[in-house]
Amino acid sequence: MLCEFDYLEPTTLADVLEILGQGDAGVRILAGGTDLLVNIRAGLITPKALVNIKKTAGLDTFAFHPDRGLEIGPAVTINQLITNTEIARRYPLLEQCAEMLASYQLRNRATVIGNIVNASPSADMAPALLCYRAKLTLTSKRGSRKVGIAEFFTGVKKTVLAADEIVEKITIPASEADGKGGYAKLKRIKGHDLGIVGVALHKKQDYIRIAVSASAPTPILAPDFQAKDSPDYIAEQVLAAIKPIDDIRSSREYRRFMASVFVKRLLEEVRA
Amino acid sequence: MKITLTVNDQVYTRECAPSKNLLHFLREDIGLTGTKEGCGAGECGACTVIMDGKAVNACLVLAAEANGAQIRTVEGEAKDGILSPLQQKFMEHHAVQCGFCTPGMLMSLRELLERNAKPGEHEIKQAIEGNFCRCTGYQQIIEAVLDLTGQLEHKGELRHV
Ligand code: FES
Ligand code: FES
Repeated sequence: MLCEFDYLEPTTLADVLEILGQGDAGVRILAGGTDLLVNIRAGLITPKALVNIKKTAGLDTFAFHPDRGLEIGPAVTINQLITNTEIARRYPLLEQCAEMLASYQLRNRATVIGNIVNASPSADMAPALLCYRAKLTLTSKRGSRKVGIAEFFTGVKKTVLAADEIVEKITIPASEADGKGGYAKLKRIKGHDLGIVGVALHKKQDYIRIAVSASAPTPILAPDFQAKDSPDYIAEQVLAAIKPIDDIRSSREYRRFMASVFVKRLLEEVRA
Repeated sequence: MKITLTVNDQVYTRECAPSKNLLHFLREDIGLTGTKEGCGAGECGACTVIMDGKAVNACLVLAAEANGAQIRTVEGEAKDGILSPLQQKFMEHHAVQCGFCTPGMLMSLRELLERNAKPGEHEIKQAIEGNFCRCTGYQQIIEAVLDLTGQLEHKGELRHV
């Protein structure tokens, strides 16, 4: 059974910030709940109160603006992203990563921002957002600040998000739209599983960007490449950027090997 | 706290602890035990129900979050003692063995059929990727849906009837 906690359903962002601003570390935001409720059940977290933000006005923002880019609020689910064909066409990598995340039912609840805030090294949405140089808007009663996705993660399950802050939205620049790309994820089984290693590649006219999941304490963005760089050079640089470990799901060596295979495979696909 | 929700077109209002999940609420508070608990942690899909038109793991939804929602469970399939066509096909294709995964399978597939009247094999597999079956090997389940939607070209290899 779950531990006892209070349940709050604020209707405005101001109310959410007020609750978070009381500085009680036992207060947790409940979005999709697909990680949070599992962790509570396992006794890893014993919150005093859960703040459901799915009914909070404005937090379900999900729109593309030609000037500001794509904005995604914290109530937007993974399946909402997949079923929006316009967004999936503009940002193909988002859809590809989303489709690899968990199972269909979980994707109906799991949120894009929740996947990021949970900050698992194997977070499937992280590689896409890193490749697109997404910016997070972190908001509290004290005000709002913008943080690049690469600076957001600080370690395994650790981020720069303060206890009184919420990720109000993720913004993906309009300039990153209409690229080519793909996400290759190694799993133990065909069905839903955590990634052993995942590689995302985003290609625009003159640059290539590659991000890797499950290969370091945080998801990793490699330095930008030029469209004409050789596959061997790119793979070498990506391997230099990651620090995979040996664990129950794979050896370090296998992760490195597959990261390199995936980089070359994805390059071939976008250059075909 | 008091919550009100509609399950298979019937309205229920109950007192409920904020920490109770929808799965336990359905089973313990309103006595609908068709929905099963396997893992309780989002892995197995035995607890799948349809909430406001979407298949969800009832073990990972708080009953409080379902306040005001429309829920469909396996109990909504058969009408007046007659199995739904989907259940009928499950039976014909021997898509049920121990039956523990079946309520969840049926709900995942019901939701799929509502958004896609003629799903291909890939879509069927995707819809039930979060539903574990330890008995049938999935093939019979897939064939049951293909048959229901008039797409089964050959008789399933493992067909028992
Ligand atoms: S009981 Fe809910 S997914 Fe297993
Ligand atoms: S029939 Fe036994 S688990 Fe599916």
